Amino acid sequence: MSEEELVAEAKTLDSWSRHRFLVFVGIAIFISVIMVLISMHLYNTSGTAQLDLSRPGYQSVREQASHTSAFEGYPSTGALDSEALSEFKKLYTEKEKEATSIDSFGGNVITDKALSIDAPK
Amino acid sequence: MKRFLFVATISAILLGFVAGPFAYAAETEMTQQHIDRIRANCVEAKTILQRVHVSDALLRVNRGQLYEQMSTKLMEPLNNRITLNRLDGMTLALTATDYERQLNTFRQSYKTYDETMSDAISINCVDKPVSFYDLVVSARQKRKDVHKATLELHKTIKQYGVDFNAFEKYVKERAG
Repeated sequence: MSEEELVAEAKTLDSWSRHRFLVFVGIAIFISVIMVLISMHLYNTSGTAQLDLSRPGYQSVREQASHTSAFEGYPSTGALDSEALSEFKKLYTEKEKEATSIDSFGGNVITDKALSIDAPK
Repeated sequence: MKRFLFVATISAILLGFVAGPFAYAAETEMTQQHIDRIRANCVEAKTILQRVHVSDALLRVNRGQLYEQMSTKLMEPLNNRITLNRLDGMTLALTATDYERQLNTFRQSYKTYDETMSDAISINCVDKPVSFYDLVVSARQKRKDVHKATLELHKTIKQYGVDFNAFEKYVKERAG
């Protein structure tokens, strides 16, 4: 089929048949935009954003984040004899120490004085 | 009567709009010198805030992971195991539920704090020094709330340990 024949055939088609590909592309883009907006909303409202150190500005600390943990935890099945209880106690004591040893988010690091925005005397 | 109520409602709304800023100003009581000082030092202050914000994000990730592990890898498996063995672990289950609730409070507190810090860092503090100051005050309070949430978690972690000791005693007595 020559180009002239194709053009002639196209002229016989109605508006919908001529533009449907464009309409489908438009609909696909619209759906994608909606999906991205929903994803961004979920990302921001669910608290995921706060755990995302790949955000700009966090490069300096990204490497310091503990990525995978070798800690397998305590098996959720099995008998609960004195040996199993001792095993739990050992694991729990270790983790308890680790979790409670640091006083996180304490200290007055953002006081008016530290930021030099305190009221002049 | 209806007309009176209508006028009273409109007056109350208008009064709220007019008095609001004054009430706020009275609460903050900022002098012009203080505002000037904030304006002069706020860029430097924002650099410090940015640094704290970044280090707190790292702390949130690392500590959060540890707090999650306490629940998902220790408390929950033990509670499941107690149930499977048909033992009485009600106290441990209740403490674990408390811990989960506090973990949610920690997550939510940190999210609110992070958002306020981001607002404080992104605001144009030279143009809006009072708003900047208010955001810093708010962020400080929210950081304290996060700290409080971590202390609550620590307390419950210790409580679970105490409950476990009692449970261990109960199992040994039951066996012996």
